Amino acid sequence: MAEMWISMGPQHPMTHGLWTLKVKVDGETVVDTEPDLGFIHRGVEKICEARDFTQITTYCDRLCYASANTWSHSYIYATEDLLEVEVPERAEYIRLVAIELQRIASHLMWLGAYGPDTGNLSIMVWCLREREMMMDLLQELGGSRLHYNFPRVGGVKRDLPHGFPQRARAKVNLFLNRIQEYEALFDESTVFLVRTQGVGYAKPEEMVNHGVTGPNLRAGGVNYDVRWAHPYGVYSELDWEPPVERSSIKGADCYDRYRVRVEEMRQSANMVLQALDKMPGGADTYHEPGDPMILAKAPSRAPEGTSGAHHFEDSRGESMFYIVGGGESRGKHPYRVSIRSPMFITIPYAAKCMIGYKVADIPAIMGSFDPCIGETDR
Amino acid sequence: MASSDWLDVNGWSESFSSWSMDSVHDALPSDDIDLQMTIPSTWAWPEPITIGPIFNMQEGFASMQPGLEAFMHATIMCTVVFTVLMLTMLAIPYIERKFIGRLMDRLGATTTLRSLWVGESGVTAGEWWKQLPFGMGTPIGWTVNLLNSIWGNSHELETISRVNNRSYHGYWFLLPGFFQAFADFLKFASKEHIVPKNADKVVFEVAPVIIISTTVLVFAFIPFGPHIYAANSELSLIFMMAIFGVAPLGVFFAGWASNNKYALIGGMRSAAQLTAYEIPLLITVLGVAVLSGSFNIIEIVDFQMGQDEGNVWNIFLLPLGAALFLITMIAEVERIPFDMPEAEAELVEGWWTEYGGIRWGLMFAAEYMRSYAACILFALFFLGGWEAPFQHTLSGLPTVGGTFEAVFAATPGLVWLLIKAWLMFAVFVWIRASLHRVRTDQILEFGWRWLLPLSLVNLVVAIILRLEFWTGQPWELWVPAALSLAALALFVILAIDEDEEALQAQRRPYSTQAVVKASPGSHRD
Repeated sequence: MAEMWISMGPQHPMTHGLWTLKVKVDGETVVDTEPDLGFIHRGVEKICEARDFTQITTYCDRLCYASANTWSHSYIYATEDLLEVEVPERAEYIRLVAIELQRIASHLMWLGAYGPDTGNLSIMVWCLREREMMMDLLQELGGSRLHYNFPRVGGVKRDLPHGFPQRARAKVNLFLNRIQEYEALFDESTVFLVRTQGVGYAKPEEMVNHGVTGPNLRAGGVNYDVRWAHPYGVYSELDWEPPVERSSIKGADCYDRYRVRVEEMRQSANMVLQALDKMPGGADTYHEPGDPMILAKAPSRAPEGTSGAHHFEDSRGESMFYIVGGGESRGKHPYRVSIRSPMFITIPYAAKCMIGYKVADIPAIMGSFDPCIGETDR
Repeated sequence: MASSDWLDVNGWSESFSSWSMDSVHDALPSDDIDLQMTIPSTWAWPEPITIGPIFNMQEGFASMQPGLEAFMHATIMCTVVFTVLMLTMLAIPYIERKFIGRLMDRLGATTTLRSLWVGESGVTAGEWWKQLPFGMGTPIGWTVNLLNSIWGNSHELETISRVNNRSYHGYWFLLPGFFQAFADFLKFASKEHIVPKNADKVVFEVAPVIIISTTVLVFAFIPFGPHIYAANSELSLIFMMAIFGVAPLGVFFAGWASNNKYALIGGMRSAAQLTAYEIPLLITVLGVAVLSGSFNIIEIVDFQMGQDEGNVWNIFLLPLGAALFLITMIAEVERIPFDMPEAEAELVEGWWTEYGGIRWGLMFAAEYMRSYAACILFALFFLGGWEAPFQHTLSGLPTVGGTFEAVFAATPGLVWLLIKAWLMFAVFVWIRASLHRVRTDQILEFGWRWLLPLSLVNLVVAIILRLEFWTGQPWELWVPAALSLAALALFVILAIDEDEEALQAQRRPYSTQAVVKASPGSHRD
């Protein structure tokens, strides 16, 4: 068969979002790829320049529909670096619970989408079922189900509500059991293994050169997790380790990436349980919103010439906000907000990984990189 | 001895046809009808001229009567078979919906499995068996209580409270979902017919006709019971398998004519896949034919159930053949894990992409019809067709044997066949819910390297059984027992596929399955 270009997207089951992957195929073999991004560019960075520091949190929630909480926290940490705010320890623990629950929910969304990518629909329903539990918990914290607007500059919106620790422990423990069900469906299925093992190799050195981070990089054997390498918040006080897959000489394949994320869900669940146990003041006590235990006073203006930045381990890699203070002329607004999106860097590399594999491998490879177009296009 | 039951539709149709034609024959006037007219002689013609016939309507009708009877009989039987097919096929999407709903249930696989029998708390599914008339549900109650006592669905368990969240009550929960098929049909029928601008319009329109018509034609040779069939030719097996293989051609047509890249790749995949599974499928079926000594499907069933013939279901004699037939048939009807031609993840909908409206609906129905045909064929070839399980054994029991015999005599073979076919479809759904989709090159490799040699092995087994062990008497018990046990042992041994060496070395082989979990910190040593 002659070579031809297929334009997969902007509406295509493989894309998981609104973007186009142009694929040049020779029969069933992928010869060349060309990602086309930017369909849902909203200009978040520019919008942020006309908003107060407190208002920007809401926009950052909308950066990723699958992992809203991690993005608003990513912004909040950078802002606190800019405004030089000391966050109470209890607030840090509450944030950790919220972030890790969100990470589990995000990875569940990914795993649920990865099933249909490789042809199994059951896992999607199962994963969304457990994601619902995580969203119930996050709803108790933030008040809504998808975009929580939970963190505040200097702390969090509210304390853990009454009964939250019990419910969280029960649900997280149930979830830890349910992971075994997923593994039974995936790891013990030869069909899944032949679809993912040896497919979509990504070399660790190439990933480092491209700037790929997060689970995709750790699948390649590179032990770089911002929470572990440059601990922020209270990550250094918990007993955990970033899951790193030992990849083969050829690099990390789809199965490695799958394993890292599943293992990361376990680690996150354990972190939530530990954080609930270690919370200063006890997880069962409740403080009114604005209490100094959960919210520190923060200035609303940043002096001119100051800047703040924070590396943050998002569900999909290292996200980073770089914020420049505007001084008196800009009022409460920042002068500039710059966002480093991990998927914006990963997607072109993932498209490169597909060359040489079959058409049927495209969703398997692309899905294993866990794209999220909301943050990619910003 | 040919099998038989009281539901002799074929005989009824035959006698009705001949009776009605005889009635017509008798109703016709028996006297000669004289339409002759004699023109008396005149000067112009010296002899009187006779024109017009003398005829007997009865005699004339009698010469046509066999043909008319056969036509009427065939029409009736085709209508009966098609009606049986369409009515019983309503169960197929229903089974798919209900069973996959349970497997994918939001309550969790384990929970829903228990919820099959749960209900003693009387809230949800409740003690629905008590609502059945005449105490028919009492044995169900016993079974539920037994299962509860074994696996312990006590009120305190979270399982129960979660199951009790369900809103449907009693056995009426069975009804929702059944009529969805009608609603779907109405939706498809009312949609606009769109042909892509640059499509090859003639072929685009012909392809669904090929697919649907050949699919319906398959059922011309599939008996639903000893007396329910549209045609019963000597080589019905061969003709049926030939017709079964025509539809992928239509798929290829559809893929090419749509002028769509996804449809084209889907059609190509269908053609490539065809070569990989069709040959093993035919060789497997040939094994069945060799063992049963006939190319006629009804005779194959008779061989399995006749007391003066084999009297053992083929699945116990050819377990390998049954497994091969199941796998190749799933590929033939394009269901997961072999549904690459319509792989929705990368090809949107594959060769279906450009079809919509009633053409899509009918092709989808044809897809289910093919699955249904595959299930019925599995029941016919391997599960003894319309024989009840342990029919002869149960009938031969002392004391209660008579009761069983009466029950078996009262139940038409159609019922047993349908139960078996539906259970087989549940297996199809089960496979779909638990497996992923393989790649085209993988099914090709699997087909040529495994299915084809194994089907040849199966054929050799069938030949040896037929030539060396078959004495014209029912099989000695040890033959099927030994074969089944050997197959079971092989299955268990092959199911243990963990690579101990790789696990020891903390290494993951890339060719076969073995799982080393990403243990935290393992990167440091």
